[in-house]
Amino acid sequence: MAVQKTLLALCIAVGLASVGGSVSATEQKAKAPTSPGAKAAYTRQENFKQQGAVFKAIRDELKKDAPNLALISSRAVKLKSSADALPTWFPKGSGPESKYPTDAKPEVWSDPVKFASAVKRLQVEATKFQTIAASGDVGAMKAQSQAVGGTCKGCHDSFRVPEE
Amino acid sequence: MTGEPSNSAKVRAKLWDGPTRMFHWALVILMGLAWWSVEANQTEWHLWAGYGILGLIVFRLIWGLAGSASARFSTFVKGPVVTLAYAKTLSRRSAGEMVGHNPLGGWSVMAILAAILSQVVTGLFAVDVDGLESGPLSDRVSFETGRLFSEWHDLSFTAIKFLVVLHLSAIAFYALYKRANLITPMITGYKSFQTDPKLRFAPLWRAALVAGAAAALTWWVMKGLRL
Repeated sequence: MAVQKTLLALCIAVGLASVGGSVSATEQKAKAPTSPGAKAAYTRQENFKQQGAVFKAIRDELKKDAPNLALISSRAVKLKSSADALPTWFPKGSGPESKYPTDAKPEVWSDPVKFASAVKRLQVEATKFQTIAASGDVGAMKAQSQAVGGTCKGCHDSFRVPEE
Repeated sequence: MTGEPSNSAKVRAKLWDGPTRMFHWALVILMGLAWWSVEANQTEWHLWAGYGILGLIVFRLIWGLAGSASARFSTFVKGPVVTLAYAKTLSRRSAGEMVGHNPLGGWSVMAILAAILSQVVTGLFAVDVDGLESGPLSDRVSFETGRLFSEWHDLSFTAIKFLVVLHLSAIAFYALYKRANLITPMITGYKSFQTDPKLRFAPLWRAALVAGAAAALTWWVMKGLRL
């Protein structure tokens, strides 16, 4: 009886705590993009999600006791081609002016030289990672994956609206 | 229960046991550490703070079932009728002779525990935007789901901040309006009563056992549920 009561209490409390959450979670669901700029912003976000998924797969694999080297190697190739394509994800007009909810800062387009060099850093590190992934040295892969992630962070710090 | 207190014949008796007080203040410190470390981009520290908080919450949940009388959920979690009846007495200037959490305070405890539990659980699956930092169970979810957990982690923290403000306001209200000091008993464990409530306290070895179980579970989660 006491246990049931406690469980009930906990359920209600969790419910109450999550109501506030779910209300604001739905607040900024994007509507279907129509203009070319909005479509480009949408596509960019899809591409970044895929790139994030590829990088996460690599990082998850490297966490394991016995990483699947073939998997890492194939993802490394994907990561490199994704990084090479990245500059094409930012056509003019796909920034905040597209009215599509984007975290890309206007500086992406107003400071193209700095942006290009930030992207270049990713491409360089991703290329290195591809080479190291093919070598089979897990320790070196771990270190290099940190370097790759560092370039993500480096670019986000300057060109992406910070979270909270 | 709600007898008018007089200033005479007060007896000092133990209210909160050591494990409950240590849980409370360790939680305050670790929540502070978790907040600071995430703001300062010290992810390593943030993870350690999170593991500590997970261990504390697990301990408190078990202690709420098997701990000392004043720490047990069955003692202080009351139904809506009793809670509402207590809420109606809030405007009285006296705090009454309530032993331990009052019905509203009991619900506040449950809400804070639930919010912090959801904070820890969402953190376990969270993935940051750079894909560099992630919770120990994030390899079980996709990148997008991990990002969603990150958002929930954020929302849940908003809920915690709200509950903490409510908690502190309630303590201030009891101190200033009802002249009841709730802070000192949570530090020393002792409080003055009209009559000794003669509370039963769980032995220390039981607290050690529960702490061991909580630590083991936390360690298992840290290892990504792998042994």
